Amino acid sequence: MRNRLVLGFVALGMAAVPVLAHHSFAAEYDPGKPVKLKGKVTEMEWINPHSWIHLDVTGADGKVTSWMIEGGSPNALLRQGFTKTALPAGAEIVVEGYQAKDGSARANGRDITYADGRKLFMGSSGDGAPDAKK
Amino acid sequence: MRLCLAVSLIASLCVTAYAQAPAKKYTPPKTPDGQPSIEGFWTNTTVTPLERPKDLGSKEFFTPEEAAAYAKKVLETKEVTGPGTYADVHYDMSQFGLTRAQNKIAGNTRTSIIVGPEGRVPAMLPAAAQRNAARAAANKGHEFDGPENRGLAERCLLWGNEGPPMLPAGYNSNLQIVQGKGYVTVMQEMIHDVRVIPTDGRAHLDPSIRQWFGDSVGHWEGNTLVVDTTNFTDRTAMRGSSENLHVVERFTRTDDDTVLYQFTVSDPSTWEKSWSGELPMSKTAGPIFEYACHEGNYGMANNLSGARAEEKAKASK
Amino acid sequence: MYAEGLETGFVDFGQAVTIRSRSRMNLASTITSSIATFVLIAASAAGQTAYKAPRVDGHPDLNGIWQANNTANWDLEGHAAAIGPVPSLGAEFAVPPGLSVVEGGKIPYLPEAEAKKKANFARRFRDDPEIRCYLPGIPRATYMPYPFQIVQGRTQIMFTYEFAGGVRSVNMGKAGEAPVDSWMGWSAGRWEGDALVVDVTGLNAKTWFDRAGNFHSNELHVVERYTPRSADTLMYEATMEDPKTFSKPWKISMPLYRRVEKDARLLEYKCPEFTEELIYGPLRKQPKKQIE
Repeated sequence: MRNRLVLGFVALGMAAVPVLAHHSFAAEYDPGKPVKLKGKVTEMEWINPHSWIHLDVTGADGKVTSWMIEGGSPNALLRQGFTKTALPAGAEIVVEGYQAKDGSARANGRDITYADGRKLFMGSSGDGAPDAKK
Repeated sequence: MRLCLAVSLIASLCVTAYAQAPAKKYTPPKTPDGQPSIEGFWTNTTVTPLERPKDLGSKEFFTPEEAAAYAKKVLETKEVTGPGTYADVHYDMSQFGLTRAQNKIAGNTRTSIIVGPEGRVPAMLPAAAQRNAARAAANKGHEFDGPENRGLAERCLLWGNEGPPMLPAGYNSNLQIVQGKGYVTVMQEMIHDVRVIPTDGRAHLDPSIRQWFGDSVGHWEGNTLVVDTTNFTDRTAMRGSSENLHVVERFTRTDDDTVLYQFTVSDPSTWEKSWSGELPMSKTAGPIFEYACHEGNYGMANNLSGARAEEKAKASK
Repeated sequence: MYAEGLETGFVDFGQAVTIRSRSRMNLASTITSSIATFVLIAASAAGQTAYKAPRVDGHPDLNGIWQANNTANWDLEGHAAAIGPVPSLGAEFAVPPGLSVVEGGKIPYLPEAEAKKKANFARRFRDDPEIRCYLPGIPRATYMPYPFQIVQGRTQIMFTYEFAGGVRSVNMGKAGEAPVDSWMGWSAGRWEGDALVVDVTGLNAKTWFDRAGNFHSNELHVVERYTPRSADTLMYEATMEDPKTFSKPWKISMPLYRRVEKDARLLEYKCPEFTEELIYGPLRKQPKKQIE
C-alpha cells in the first residue's frame, strides 16, 4: 500500500482545470506493466510539459536498453537553484513506474531514487523539502 | 490585515483577511509613464477552490484561524493509490517540487474564488448545455482518433488556467507583469503565453477577428487596471463558453507584496447570469523559466501511439 | 526645397550645388535649404546619426511595435530567386531574392559545420524548425516576417513576437547564468549610450538562423544591439559566437521599422494547430481527408 501526496483537487475540488488533465498518463502507460529499472543516466531533458530522463539499463543478459522516463515540469527545480548539471550523465538511479502501452522502452517516473535510496532532488514532503520562497 | 500561521511544511501561510473591498490607503509606486505599478513576479497559487464546497453553503469567509486550518487540511491530504490502477500511473509530484505544500501560497480567507452567497458558477442555459453535450457526444468513441480529438491543453494550444480569467494552476502558478509606455504585459508561466494589453481604452478588434485569448483592452481607474476582453473564438470554450464570452478583470496593488485580482465573466449564450471572483496574487521571486509546451510535447505522440497499440492488440484477439 | 526649374538630380558631395533656376526670387531660400540638405546628408554619410531618441526613465525609449523588412528569414546570405518547395503554389511560395545581411557576406563555418550546413540546405523544406512552429530563438525571432513588440519596464524589458507567440524577458539587472538551455535563450541587458545591448546565452541547438539551413550549437552566444536611428527606425545588430560551429565571430545588421499604423498591434499566431497533421498525421487512426 503506497501513500502518495497527490494534488488535492481529486479530493477537494481544485481551483482550476486540473493540470494533470493536460495529458492523460492513463493513455500513455499500461498499469498492467509495472517496471523497476536500475540504470545509468545518459541525459536529462529539462523541458516542459514534462522532463525526460534517459537511462541506460543493463538487462540480465548483459544487453543495454535505452529507456526514457517521464517526469514532472522542471521549473520548480530551477527555482530551487538546481541546474542542468544536477542529474549528470553517469548518475545511477532506480525508477519504479509503468511501461508504455505501445511497448517501447518508456515509463513514467512514479518513484525515482538514487542508488542509495535518496529521493530524486526534492524527496517527498517532510524529507528535504525547501523553505517556501519569499 | 494579514495573519501568518504555521502550517505544516511551508514556513508560514499568510492570509489576507478582508471582509470587504480593501481600503485604498496604499499608494503604489508609479512606472515612468505614470501608471500605478503592478510590475514584478506574482504567484496565484492557492488552496481556495474556484467553487465553494457545498457544505459551506453561503459562508463566504473563514476566520483567519479557520482559513489556516483549511489550508493545513488541503496541503496534508494524501491519497492512497493502489498498485496497478490508473490512478497510480503518474510521477510523484513532490520529487519535482510541484506540490502546493512545497511552494508559496497566496493566502486569503475566502471560502471560494467565486464571490457572493452562492460561490459557484451559475447554471448553464439549456441551449448551452446542449451545445456542449453535442460536442462531447460527437467526440465519444473518437477520443484518440487524432490530435484534434484531444483537448486544447494536450495540443498545447491553450490551458485552462490562462483564461482570461486567469486562474491558479496546480503548480508553476506564476506570472510576470512588465509595464511599458501605454501597455501592460502579463505572461503566465504555463504555457508561456503573453497578453499584451494596451491601456488607452481603444476599441476592440473587428468582430470578424476571433482569438483564443480574445482581444484585451485596458484602462486605468485610479489605481485599478480594468481589462475588457471580447472577440473569443467559439473553440476557447472557457468552462463551456461560446464566442460571446466577455471577461472584465481588475488588477489593484493593495500593498508592496500583493495584487488583488478580480474578474467578472458573462456570456449570455452560456450562463443565466454573470459570475465574479477574486483572489490575491503574492509577490514571488523570478525569473519565470521557459515553458515551451508544443516543442516538448512528446505526450501527444505517445498517447496516440498508445491508442494505436491498444487497437491493434484488441484487433488481434 | 529646390527652386522651380531645377533639374531633377542628386546633390553631389564636395561639389557646389548647381542651381539652374530661372527664378531669382527663391534663390536665397534655395541656397539655405540646399546647404542644410548638404550638411544633413554629409553627416549621415559620415555614419553618425544625428538622432537622439526620447528618454524614458533616463534611457532611450524603445517601446513600440517593430518589424524587419528583408529576406533574412529566407537566407542570411545573399541569394537569387529560386523555385519553391510546392509546385502547385508556383510564384506564391517561391524563394525571393535578397542581399546578405552578414558583414563580409558569408558565415564563417568550420569545415565540418560547413558540410552540415550543406546537408541542412538540401533538406531545408523538411527540417527547418519553423515548419513545425517551433520557437525561432534569437536572433531569428527578430527578422521573421512578422511584427514584434518591445515593452520597456524598469528592470525587465519584454520582447513579444507575433510568430508562435514567442516571448522573452530581458533582465536589466543581474541575470546570472542560464540554469538550462531554452528555445528563446537567457537574456541579460544593459545600456551602452543610446544602444540597448542584450547578451543572449543558454540557447538550445534546435533552432536555425533562417530557412536556408544555417545553424549553430548550444554554445552559441549572441550579443544584440538595438540603436535608435530615427523616430521610426532602429538599427539592429547581432554578433554570433560559437567556437563549435564557426571559425570566428560574425555579425548581421539590418534596420527595424516601426509599425506606425494607428491601431498597430500584434495578433495571435498560434501555429501549433497548423502543424498537427505534419507531426502527428502518421499516428492517426485513419488518414485525414486531404483538402483539394
